[in-house]
Amino acid sequence: MAIDGRALTDFLAVAVGRSGGRRVALALLAVLCASCSHADRIVVGAKNFTESDLLAEIAAQQIERRTGLPVERKLHLGGTFVCHSAITAGQIDLYVEYTGTAYTAVLKHTAGADADSVREAVAHEYRQRWALVWLDPFGFNNTFAIAVRQADAQRLGLRTISDLARVAPRWHAGFGYEFLNRADGFPGLAAAYGLHFAAPPTAMDLGLTYRALADGKVDVIAGNSTDGQLAALHLVVLADDRHYFPPYEAAPVVRGELLEQHPEVGRALLELRGKIDDDEMRRLNAQADIDHKDLHAIAHDWLAQAVP
Amino acid sequence: MTAPVVELRGVSCEVGTAPPRAIVRDVSFSVGPGETLVLLGRSGSGKTTTLKLINRLVDPSRGAVMVAGRPTGALPPYRLRRGIGYVIQEVGLLPHLTVAENVGLVPRLERWARERIEARVRELLTLVGLAPERFAERRPHELSGGQRQRVGVARALAVDPPLLLLDEPFGALDPITRAELQREFKGLSARLGKAMVFVTHDVREGLLLGTRIGLMQDGRLVFLGDAGEFRRSPHPEVRAFLEAAA
Amino acid sequence: MNLVRFYVDNAREVLGLVGQHLLLVLVSTAVAVAIGVPLGILLTRRPAWRGPVLGLANVFQTIPSLALFGFLIPLPLLGGIGARTAIVALVVYGLLPIVRNTYVGISGIDPAVREAARGMGMTDGELLRLVELPLAAGVILAGIRVATVVGVGTATIAAAIGAGGLGEYIFRGVAVVDNTLILAGAVPAALLALSADGLLGLLERRFAWR
Repeated sequence: MAIDGRALTDFLAVAVGRSGGRRVALALLAVLCASCSHADRIVVGAKNFTESDLLAEIAAQQIERRTGLPVERKLHLGGTFVCHSAITAGQIDLYVEYTGTAYTAVLKHTAGADADSVREAVAHEYRQRWALVWLDPFGFNNTFAIAVRQADAQRLGLRTISDLARVAPRWHAGFGYEFLNRADGFPGLAAAYGLHFAAPPTAMDLGLTYRALADGKVDVIAGNSTDGQLAALHLVVLADDRHYFPPYEAAPVVRGELLEQHPEVGRALLELRGKIDDDEMRRLNAQADIDHKDLHAIAHDWLAQAVP
Repeated sequence: MTAPVVELRGVSCEVGTAPPRAIVRDVSFSVGPGETLVLLGRSGSGKTTTLKLINRLVDPSRGAVMVAGRPTGALPPYRLRRGIGYVIQEVGLLPHLTVAENVGLVPRLERWARERIEARVRELLTLVGLAPERFAERRPHELSGGQRQRVGVARALAVDPPLLLLDEPFGALDPITRAELQREFKGLSARLGKAMVFVTHDVREGLLLGTRIGLMQDGRLVFLGDAGEFRRSPHPEVRAFLEAAA
Repeated sequence: MNLVRFYVDNAREVLGLVGQHLLLVLVSTAVAVAIGVPLGILLTRRPAWRGPVLGLANVFQTIPSLALFGFLIPLPLLGGIGARTAIVALVVYGLLPIVRNTYVGISGIDPAVREAARGMGMTDGELLRLVELPLAAGVILAGIRVATVVGVGTATIAAAIGAGGLGEYIFRGVAVVDNTLILAGAVPAALLALSADGLLGLLERRFAWR
């Protein structure tokens, strides 16, 4: 990534052909550099849902306060595959990924239930194939929450996903685009539990699925188990009785090259290990989604109190 | 003494509010069947507005306007206007209709039977000098200015109204076509026996076509009489017009 | 090519989505015409309303489509997830071209024609039916054409709120970074827009009077 700035400006100055050329060349260079990948800033990305944005903000602020390095955020970037493409292309330096997602959706293995082996396999393959490093997880498991309305759960005695398979033929489902298309998402789930809905599930922006469920437009959705709306909307999460879903532990994934150049970044992020359990993540998510508190403030206040 | 077809009594028309401007001041005249009253005057003298007071395109502020013995306000405007033929300088043919459809418009609005309309259209086109076989299916944009105005006159005569209003109908035509149409019109009006009010600023046209002349100046009718009386009148405005025509 | 194979393999689903897309556009355009043309006519009768009404329609036009969908979702009658909300948004976007072109088409009629029509004794209804609408038809159709073409494009966003249509392929493709999927949605949408443009253009030329 090392561009000899002086050589370039000299070249451009010759090309433009006059004394004012150097100023023009410098201006051009500045514009070019602004759009090319950072040599001096760390770029933190996030997937397109609240929890990912929040964890990215926490990681970003932790790096800033411990190392003083400048950090740029690219929050709400896109889904899993968008972020993966971005980090392997070097357009972002780190984002928070989930072990289960990496294992099944990115590496395309069939799921294993054991958290440790999944974590090890993922760390090994990411380092080998893309020189990406998995740091230690935050401490919570955010699995898919197959959620239904409380009234329906009580009326029909629904406690597990197997129970759902019973009523599915009369029901309507709504899912986000990623869940519908991931191998470990709806296709695999439907196969594992024999789910057949009245019509193909309605596809919509993930964030809207909660509203659709609450408004009665759909009967079942696949949210995240740490989402704030689950409690707020009085939804019931059905148990994964056949253990279809792998564990989804959240951890920072960082470009190896960055850690080599700045080992202090690795040290700063390791301080976050194990600091957020399921309840704590739900609490933080609720502050954003229900209380509409500003992400920067939530991250700042939490860090001040949990990682002093 | 036959009842007049049009009668104006003390009619005034004001526009605006601060202060109101009088376009027509205290005008009175009547026109009987077979008569052609020419309203002559400079631009802005109020002659066009006076004409429009008759078919209620403009409302009077004061005075009474009567057509066929009834006040014009007694009828819904569209009903009044269907009984009055109206010819304007720009003609205003509907561009998306054929000549025949244009001429047959009012009969169509009056729900005449189709054959009756077709027959009437042929009769009228012949009357104004346009051979039906050649012109009936043409569209207005294919016609010359003179031909278009002939269609305009035919259209105005469609339901045989007792009254015709014409607002400088030949003003936009070249002098040769204008003279031709004036001659034909004179012959036509003699045959038809209708009451007509004809607005123009051309003295010679007025003297040729009118049984009586009404000269308007600043909204007032300053002269009303036949051609002979017009030529002998000492009124300064009359003199000015006669000199300009000489 | 990948795309052709995709269409062959998923023919039923593709046709279904095309059908959904067409339905969104056709219904919303019909409603926009039903509201917009009378509104445009009304503006020619009440010139004082022209500024506020056209101004408001103009403002609607500038709202980014995803934002408008977002605004509409919480509303009780018009909102919610699904096709109805999408149709409301598409109607909003279709209003400006239709209202404005109706107004311009009618007020652009030769005043002499209008005066002759009034003078011969046409009622307001007859004037509208026999003179104003036929003469303005070409311009009005041009407005409908714009609304339709814009509608085909905007309807792709409707998939974000669960309204279906070709946007589903595009969103899916974006989520899993699959260009074939994205094209699978974008290409038919573009073709639909071109066909609508061509068909309505033919119709418009037939009615043009100037």
